[in-house]
Amino acid sequence: MSRTEKDQATDHVTQSKDDPTPKWWKWIFTMTLAFSPPYLFWYHCGAEGRTLSEKYDIALAANLKLQFGAIGELSLTRENVVKYLYEESWLKVGGSIFKANCVSCHGAEGGGLGGPNLCDDNYKNIKDIGDILRVLQNGANGGAMPPWQAKLSPNEIVLVASYVASLRGSNPSVAKPAEGRKIPAWPKQPAEEDELTEVTDE
Amino acid sequence: MSSVASGTNSSEELGVNMAGSEVDNNHLIEPHSYDDAIVKQFAAATLLWALFATLAGLAIAHLLVIPKMFGGVETLSFGRLRPLHSSVAIYAFLANGIFAAIYYSTQRLCGVKNWSWLLSRLHFWLWQFIIIAAIFNFPEGLTQARSQADLLQPIYLAILFVWTSCFAVNFFMTLRTRKVKKLYVSLWFYAATIVSFPLLLAANSIALPVSWVKSYPFLAGAQDMIVQWCYGRSAIYYLLLMPFLGMMYFFVPLVSGKRLSSYRLAKIHFWALVVLLLWSGTASLHYTAIPEWISSVGMLAGLLLWMPLWGGLLNGWRTLRGGAVNFGSSIAYRFFMVALLFYGISTLEASVLSIKSVSAMTQYTDWTIAHLHSGMMGWNGMLAFGILYWLMPRLFKVEIWSERGASLHFWISLMGVLLSVVPLYISGIIQSTMWGSMDELGNLMYPDFFEAISASRIMWWIRIMGGMLYVIGLVLMVANFAMTWVNRSSACEVGSEVPVNPSEAESEIESPGTLDHAPVLDAARALERWSKLHWHQRWESTITPFFVIPILLVLVVSLVLVLPNIIFKSAVPQIASVKPYSPLELLGRDIYRTEGCFNCHSQMVRPMVAETKRYGDFSRAGEFVFDFPAFWGKRRIGPDLAREGGNKQTSIWHWRHFEDPTAFVDGSVMPSYSHLLDAKIDFDEVAQQVKTARLLGVVYEEEMDVYLQSARDQAERVAADIVSSGGTIRRGEVMTLESKAVALIAYLQRLGTDLSAPVTADSKDDSAETAMKDDPVTLTEYAATSLNK
Repeated sequence: MSRTEKDQATDHVTQSKDDPTPKWWKWIFTMTLAFSPPYLFWYHCGAEGRTLSEKYDIALAANLKLQFGAIGELSLTRENVVKYLYEESWLKVGGSIFKANCVSCHGAEGGGLGGPNLCDDNYKNIKDIGDILRVLQNGANGGAMPPWQAKLSPNEIVLVASYVASLRGSNPSVAKPAEGRKIPAWPKQPAEEDELTEVTDE
Repeated sequence: MSSVASGTNSSEELGVNMAGSEVDNNHLIEPHSYDDAIVKQFAAATLLWALFATLAGLAIAHLLVIPKMFGGVETLSFGRLRPLHSSVAIYAFLANGIFAAIYYSTQRLCGVKNWSWLLSRLHFWLWQFIIIAAIFNFPEGLTQARSQADLLQPIYLAILFVWTSCFAVNFFMTLRTRKVKKLYVSLWFYAATIVSFPLLLAANSIALPVSWVKSYPFLAGAQDMIVQWCYGRSAIYYLLLMPFLGMMYFFVPLVSGKRLSSYRLAKIHFWALVVLLLWSGTASLHYTAIPEWISSVGMLAGLLLWMPLWGGLLNGWRTLRGGAVNFGSSIAYRFFMVALLFYGISTLEASVLSIKSVSAMTQYTDWTIAHLHSGMMGWNGMLAFGILYWLMPRLFKVEIWSERGASLHFWISLMGVLLSVVPLYISGIIQSTMWGSMDELGNLMYPDFFEAISASRIMWWIRIMGGMLYVIGLVLMVANFAMTWVNRSSACEVGSEVPVNPSEAESEIESPGTLDHAPVLDAARALERWSKLHWHQRWESTITPFFVIPILLVLVVSLVLVLPNIIFKSAVPQIASVKPYSPLELLGRDIYRTEGCFNCHSQMVRPMVAETKRYGDFSRAGEFVFDFPAFWGKRRIGPDLAREGGNKQTSIWHWRHFEDPTAFVDGSVMPSYSHLLDAKIDFDEVAQQVKTARLLGVVYEEEMDVYLQSARDQAERVAADIVSSGGTIRRGEVMTLESKAVALIAYLQRLGTDLSAPVTADSKDDSAETAMKDDPVTLTEYAATSLNK
């Protein structure tokens, strides 16, 4: 802003200098003002489905549908554990549940930290693949392995059980020495509908 | 008389001329000099504390990448030093800068010496003493541990005392005795701050003191959070914004040699800021367990603030640029230009961050830290440095010792700020993305929390380099200041003379409006007058509006935002299964507070699928009714702990994890807390804790002995659990069952478990709205519901 002689003479009257406020300044300010009442009304008029917790419920339902829509509600059976042991894409789901909940005791690759190594052939509380479900649901070792049935959905328990089973035979970079007894290999992938013993649902 | 355009060499006159005014000719003014010695003291203190604050920041930045740097000494852990760094930065470095600039400019703008020599000295020395006392508190773990109140209550009271009785009295009395009638823009900003800041700080400091070093807020959980973010956060926001704008309005015209670009815009944006600022505090609590309308108000106020904030940017920028002074010719000009740029960026950012969906992404990540640092290092810091460089030759009446050193400081600190904040913005995005991403199957893409922490490490290293540059720049400045002082001319001891006749201004109030000569209705003329803000000119001759309106605003905000949450029980829906902490858990909570765990761990799962998948069900307001205060946290360097309880990790896991966290968690940057394993619980504290909780309205209706015994019993149970899972019975002198870690583990195992706990027979009869006082819990019931999990 170049200033004229006349300006300088009246310099001390500071009010006399008022560069025009840019249009965009006024417009944006007006827009933010105009935006506020409708926003408040929209979210706080009491209509359904607009609060955070309602939106969360919708998002959660959509997520569950996305995750388990294809497989429905799984029952906690040995046969399901075996079935998903051989389905690569669902093992990934189980792996993600494992990473979120189990790695602090069993290690990132399942080699064991506080909890036992899940990658070798020795198991402490498991004689059969179905036992994994039981340990997951009820815990083991006097609570050292906590029960998960209140914290994970049945689908999640089945899938993480399959994932844990799939760890057997892998080579983790950190591995705890073997504990417990050596048990026979997991059952092979069922051809179709084989005879399978059911584990009691709890 | 000379004009502003004559340049930067006659500052005293210029300062006054800017204000423009009527002279009170009835008084015969005796020649005397401004009190610049106090300005020098505060300026020196600003620089020394700046060095201290940035060095402390540098130290804790190192702790994030080398957790064992200080050999695991408990007094030097991140959790204890983080609040030290921020408190010194705000209350020592920046506050001293504010005082220096205000003492300098107020005298010039009023055409009169500081009202009281003694009060300003008391202000200086007491303030420094308070800061030193605060510094000694933090390593000892003495903190209120509230989100917006790190310092101890007595420290805040001391700050309040010095601020009001020394600073405010001196300032307003100087204004009352002024020779320049018109109050210039800067003085409005100063006055609003000097009135509002202590009010907000006082409201935020209301707490129950149980000793010199311990106090507890009267309100728990969500209610206390609203208090803190409405008052405490606004106090800090006020302090880092308003006086600095006032300083900008005074010093930018002096440096650029131009008049203020728009007086009118200054009026509009000043009042818009005063009116809107206090409403925006809760914009940082989106998605947490506060009533949703409060968070909406915060968001809208944040958006509305955008243009008022940028009013300062526009005015500053247009006043600074385009005159005879340019980037090459003035050091202060450079600093001001960069400061204004950072101001523009960080105020825009503040508005954008107040949008709920944006906040959902940035909350708890490094983005918050980057935002704060770009504001404080870039805007506040650079502006303060620019002002001090401009003041140096004027205070010491001698050329700056090294112009080149000052120039070097500018470039180094500019690089320093950029390298400090850009990596943190990037790591903020990394964390936000990795913690929030879901794959095509609806699973967490990065289920391991620490993948994001590991990915952030390189950024944390770069940011350390930025911090180092900033410190090196400061060292240059301190040297420059010291050498300029050594070379000072003897004339500087006298101080600058107060001009006998500060200004020959005519009043603008009666100036003819464009419509004055037209035969129009009086109403039209009045409207024209109003729209041109001419009414404001009358205000500018009196202190009252700048004193009263900020106070009114604090009252209105209290009535509308804060009080409803205290009065109406529906603000915090009670949950019948949520019970008071057991005595041992209270002791554990106290350790959590002392160690500053909340500096890295939040306790607030937000209602977002990516969050509940990772941590568990989202947090409800009713879960925090026994948290005095709640530890919701502001940043996640470790995972959220709101649902940590209920054996999510076993007690032995916690025990070993405290000893050496990195051995258990890949990518963890948590230091070892083995000193908790080696320290004994002071069971005598049980009585104090329970008594305090009773005073706060929590029902503990048994005899004190019962609680003492219960604490010992629970410790024994936790210890038995640890020992039976392979833990040691004793470590050196300390039995496991009496170690502090056991109390902390008891607290952690309780966290977030009450929500899904079965409702006991007793409370089933009560309605859902039962207040905690009407819902007594006996120890036996308590033990039945929570200890046996």
